[in-house]
Amino acid sequence: MALLLPPGLTPNEVGFLCEMELVTVIPRQRLDSLELLGGPTQALKPPFPAQLPLWLALLLKRQKRANISPPPWLSVPALEQILDFETDNNFAGVFSPSPDLPAPRSTVSMPEDPYLSNHTLEMSAPFLKDSSTSRAQENALPYHWLELSHLLLTHAADDFDDPDSVRRLVRDLREVRMSKLRKGFKVLESSAGVKMNGVGGMEIAEVRGFVGGVVDGLRRINRSREEARREQMDEGGVGYGSSGRYADDDDEMEL
Amino acid sequence: MDADISDILASVSAPPIPKRALDLQALTRAWINERSSPELLPYPTELIERSTQGVKSQIEVIEEMTGAMDPTSNFKLVILQTELERVKFLLRSFLRARIAKIDKHPLHYHSVATSADLGDQPILSRLESQYLVSHQALLSSHYNASFLSLFPTQLQRLDDATGGDSMIDKPDEDTAVFCRVLRDGYVSRPPDDDIELKRGDVWVLRWTTIREKVRSGDVELI
Repeated sequence: MALLLPPGLTPNEVGFLCEMELVTVIPRQRLDSLELLGGPTQALKPPFPAQLPLWLALLLKRQKRANISPPPWLSVPALEQILDFETDNNFAGVFSPSPDLPAPRSTVSMPEDPYLSNHTLEMSAPFLKDSSTSRAQENALPYHWLELSHLLLTHAADDFDDPDSVRRLVRDLREVRMSKLRKGFKVLESSAGVKMNGVGGMEIAEVRGFVGGVVDGLRRINRSREEARREQMDEGGVGYGSSGRYADDDDEMEL
Repeated sequence: MDADISDILASVSAPPIPKRALDLQALTRAWINERSSPELLPYPTELIERSTQGVKSQIEVIEEMTGAMDPTSNFKLVILQTELERVKFLLRSFLRARIAKIDKHPLHYHSVATSADLGDQPILSRLESQYLVSHQALLSSHYNASFLSLFPTQLQRLDDATGGDSMIDKPDEDTAVFCRVLRDGYVSRPPDDDIELKRGDVWVLRWTTIREKVRSGDVELI
């Protein structure tokens, strides 16, 4: 049966994705390594911490077989520091930077490799190493920050030192970043091409319909003008392209 | 300089990523790309084969453990089954998203699949093209029986491309998509300026601009 959902991940699917992030658990009982489809899990030997996917950690937590140790960025001092950055007027137009990326596995893709070949596959969220374990970077929010904090605060609140303050800070951060995102909508135009570094997965799921709709709507309105520009460029070289765009921008402001 | 040394150390000391973990990453990415892109992407034949094979053997393992009736392995069984269901969901949602696209523009994908060179990566899997052909045959015979046969002969075709407008509906390839850059590079998008893509950047771009980059694995949709 065909899928009835619109293009783009829904919030539920983003949450599903977030559950693949590795988190650090402190086991309360032993559990041998298990051969899962996504690779073997780490054996649990109390009291040594282990890295497990979030869905498994939540399963263990619900049955009181383990405690989850929240990632360093999900603590009161770290969140306060990030919130300071987000509310700083000097950085009004940008999100706080995302965590440093590990070095790429490869530098070029092989043209003869099939789609999604194993040889040149780059890892990305939710499979980035240590983005939400206890070894995670302290001063940056990873891609799935909002979903992860929500899940941990709902199901493992007793593993936080001060869950209420963390919850308050997460909500503040969410509001500050959402208002930044909404302000950023002013630059949307028909040619798309908007950079949104540092944005989170759930934040994208929230604005996807709006951004996509605006950009596609503007494109439909501007189609004839764009075709004219393309023709002009084919005839007159590159120089005319930029002057045409400023005129376009002025018109779009009135919309 | 320090960063370089630590990078080199990390690449030497880091254990290689297990093959199964790579496959899960690839399957997840295939699912997200297919859920977000306006048109069908090439069918990752080997990846889906490996994943379905993995699901099959995992079901066998679970059945064996259930048959052994060992009370100590009950909890392990719960974990294995939970993970199995998660992977099955990924596979199912991926295939269903593809069928939804095939159903929406059947004639377009039929012509794409038949006109593709043999060297290219196939757009449709064997089952998908079987489905497309027989579904389309059923539909057109139904249309014919119920109303098309009453029309004048020159108006009976479903894929008329004469007279300026083609009847074959195509997906809107200029739709805006959210994407993340995995490897540095740049794309040109006439008549606007070129864009430099840096690893880790998140962009909203037209699908036509980054289509080739997604296919080569330099960019992923999010």
